[in-house]
Amino acid sequence: MSPSSSRIRNIFEPLEPSYVADLWNSQFGIAQSVFMGYLFFRKAQSVWAINDNCLPRISYEAIGMRIMNLKDRPWKPTTSALQVFGRHATKNVIHLDSINAMIFLEGKTLVIESNCEPGYVVVFYRGEVLGCGLYSHGKLVSQIPKERRMASVVENGACEDQ
Amino acid sequence: MDPLQRYREIIPNFDQFQRVQSLPLPPTARINTLKMDEQRLLERLDLEGMSYKTFRWYPLGLKLDVESPGKLLVNLLGYIHIQEELSMVPPLVLGPRPGERVLDLCASPGSKTCQISQMMENKGLVIANEPSLARVTPLRSNCERLGVMNVAITRYDGRNFPNVPFDRILVDAPCSSEGRERKGPGVMARSSCKRSLDLQALQIDLLKNALRLARSGGVVVYSTCTYAPEENELVVESVLDRARLEKISIPGLKDCPGITDWNGVHLDDDLQLSRRYYPHLNNTGGFYVAKLVKN
Repeated sequence: MSPSSSRIRNIFEPLEPSYVADLWNSQFGIAQSVFMGYLFFRKAQSVWAINDNCLPRISYEAIGMRIMNLKDRPWKPTTSALQVFGRHATKNVIHLDSINAMIFLEGKTLVIESNCEPGYVVVFYRGEVLGCGLYSHGKLVSQIPKERRMASVVENGACEDQ
Repeated sequence: MDPLQRYREIIPNFDQFQRVQSLPLPPTARINTLKMDEQRLLERLDLEGMSYKTFRWYPLGLKLDVESPGKLLVNLLGYIHIQEELSMVPPLVLGPRPGERVLDLCASPGSKTCQISQMMENKGLVIANEPSLARVTPLRSNCERLGVMNVAITRYDGRNFPNVPFDRILVDAPCSSEGRERKGPGVMARSSCKRSLDLQALQIDLLKNALRLARSGGVVVYSTCTYAPEENELVVESVLDRARLEKISIPGLKDCPGITDWNGVHLDDDLQLSRRYYPHLNNTGGFYVAKLVKN
């Protein structure tokens, strides 16, 4: 398997779990064992994860959750994936107080001091993962997707059922 | 003429039904146990001074007393999901278990898909099928926000979904949506017997394909959010040569049996095992649900 071929053909190609687990371990200090029991796939620049299953051989639009984007350096974790795996993080985490948490959830940038390395961080509030932030030089830029921000959910409105 | 008038004979307390049908629907949500357990969520709502009531028939269902429930932090973080009360019924009737292989044939926007995943505790496999690319976006977004890790999405025409065996299949079919009128008026303007008959052909093909895909003894649940017998009992009757109906009973939720007479024609008596849910019985929308077991 070569990562470039999936980019060209735009199909899901299996990834070694250790490849994913090593990246998350080195960025967030998450134990590799947390990623056991999942299957990982790469499609174009995205990595997807699904609970270990026997997948029928049919054509898929999505396989499980999109957990990371490899397009840029460094790779970027999705907020959804951090809400699943991020609680196991032991480094590059930032805990916010309630005022800053609300600002972060509105998708804004915070001025904040932290010992984190510059790059993507897991943002916590009251012990719960809010999502992904980009930290550098005393600034934390919220990476919360637009439709999951505090102010914009009404305009989006795509998440309600009958 | 009001298209609902043709149901006068089959809907009990018809005048009350009509009155309730024009009232707005109270906001409801489901607790997402994939991310938050029930007790902790309720404690959190209490702490935040939120006014709510749990459903009598489903402890994970909540009636919320707020104006914009979608804006709540607990919704943005995926601890609850805004979902109409009766929309929580079909997954319960389907009864998926951890480790099974389940197909949701008409999945978007995915409220029922995610409820199925939650009932399976994220174990086993759910295939959520949605032919429309535009409708895959909310389906994916809901699955990801709710922390679902056992759903794969496909985009087949449900009538031609490839031959893969499933333990359980939900066919929540495209329908005339008369039971959604309370959610946003306008649905009834498009509703007519002719439209229902047009949809019936698609609904029968979807249900027949689901019964082809289910393993022998597998469960297929057929549901719509409409009152039209053409889209409900008459669809289910067309497959009774290959499956048998099982009775649905949900304690605490008032229902009516499926009808066995329509427009002077007598239908299969077993159709009374399927269930009709009307707005004035539980202050909800409207739904029809049938549980089939493949021969």
